[in-house]
Amino acid sequence: MPGHTVEINVTGLTRSFGTTLAVNDISFDVYQGELFAFLGPNGAGKTTTINLLTGLLTPDGGTINYRGERFDPVRLAVKQMIGVVPQHNNLDKELTSAENLRVHGVLFGLRGSELEKRIDFCLDFADLHAKRNTPAGKLSGGMKRKLVIARALLHQPKILFLDEPTVGLDPHSRRRMWAFLRRINLEQKCTVFLTTHYIEEAESLAQRVMIMDNARIIAAGTPDELKSRVGHYVLDIYRDEDLENEFFADRTAALKRLEKLDLSVRIRETTLEDVFIQLTGKRISGDKSNG
Amino acid sequence: MVNGIRGIYLRETLILRKRLVKTLLASAVSPALFLIAFGYGVGRGAQVNGYDYLIFLLPGLLTMSSMNQSYGIATEINISRFYFKVFEEYLLAPLRRWEIVVAEMLYGMTKGLIPVVIIFIYSVLCGVHFSLNPLFIVALLLHLAIFSLLGLITALLVRNHSDQATMNAFLITPMMFLSGTFFPVEQMPLFIRAVAALSPLTYSTQLIRATLIPTMAVNGWLFPVLFVMLLVLFAIARWVVNRVQI
Repeated sequence: MPGHTVEINVTGLTRSFGTTLAVNDISFDVYQGELFAFLGPNGAGKTTTINLLTGLLTPDGGTINYRGERFDPVRLAVKQMIGVVPQHNNLDKELTSAENLRVHGVLFGLRGSELEKRIDFCLDFADLHAKRNTPAGKLSGGMKRKLVIARALLHQPKILFLDEPTVGLDPHSRRRMWAFLRRINLEQKCTVFLTTHYIEEAESLAQRVMIMDNARIIAAGTPDELKSRVGHYVLDIYRDEDLENEFFADRTAALKRLEKLDLSVRIRETTLEDVFIQLTGKRISGDKSNG
Repeated sequence: MVNGIRGIYLRETLILRKRLVKTLLASAVSPALFLIAFGYGVGRGAQVNGYDYLIFLLPGLLTMSSMNQSYGIATEINISRFYFKVFEEYLLAPLRRWEIVVAEMLYGMTKGLIPVVIIFIYSVLCGVHFSLNPLFIVALLLHLAIFSLLGLITALLVRNHSDQATMNAFLITPMMFLSGTFFPVEQMPLFIRAVAALSPLTYSTQLIRATLIPTMAVNGWLFPVLFVMLLVLFAIARWVVNRVQI
């Protein structure tokens, strides 16, 4: 379990592009050592938030503190302690896996045998040692993703930001990636901040989840806390062509209600998708809820 | 050297090594064609300012080709910025933005040296012997640095890849033909001379030609002119790089 030392503190963060408000006055804390997921549909403002937190964009308002110190992208010490995995695999396709890592290592001040040791370690850690001399452009989608993550880990960051780390991966590769991310969190003792629009990813990986929609944070907490807001059990009630949901704090209450219904009904545990639908009236995929 | 400069220069030169054959061919073919067309075609037997046209032309080809290679980093930066998003790696690294300017400038200068070597080989093959001297080296380095910075600036100012092509068409192509590379600027109409006066290539070609041809007088004022241009372009490049966001 993560401790309660605040790693990142964000207060009133705001950013717009023209007349579009991409991030609207958001505030939150990320604790040291935790695996924190930022969940929301495409266009919710997740990537803009990561870009603000990593200094790729400057905020219109609000503050970001790392370990109590105000973040200023000009100050290089904070950049040294963060690793970033962007949504796209921004590798040099012509360079080999090792060369991609070497360039990153030099940019982050690693040299000589220390650099070569880190390259070996990160390629091993990502199961890419056999692909050491393969051009990045010739790796599979999953391998490219792992290489981008290995690159972000090369300089031993304290905080790892991952923007949609499993987007574009098949379900099998996605689950392997989850295991890899858990290992990073535990073995590298890295605070992991990831964005995702996959519900199961946030549920499976994160110790705490923050849900974002339309540039605002609409809920935050552990997956359990978020589910308890609407009830841990849900009845899917099929009435004519429509699906209705009723939520209950416990299974007994749900079963009691089930007995009274003379309709096609299914009882199941509440998911974060249900929480999102209850809070916003729409699905994370962006479709209107029919529940 | 600082980490940012080392890292970016390493990245660029690793890629240059992978593309070396293509770069060599690109640097060799175009000046060879100009040499055949102008040197042995149109200009055969002609004299310019008392010099054989071939002696006049070769330094012009040297400045033109090296300008193309140094400025050509614009397209590479553009592609890595817009398509491969590699530029983000630089922005995320613990480096100062001016390190990006220095590293890209050094890379552009390195790339610009390739056609210089090729033109020297052509000169030997044509029986023309130039004087390799410190003044030439300084003039060449100023020339390469200026066009590398110009490439970096345009790459970061444009918003997409097609704007880069437009920029090249309006900036580089006119410079190639109107800056005294093929014909002396003094023989051009007044309007063309006015345009040529705005082009850094006019000054660097004039200086490099004079430093290469032993009997030609060197206008020493051109060194400070090019140096001031370099400082101005460095300041602009720094400003442009500072305001880059993704």
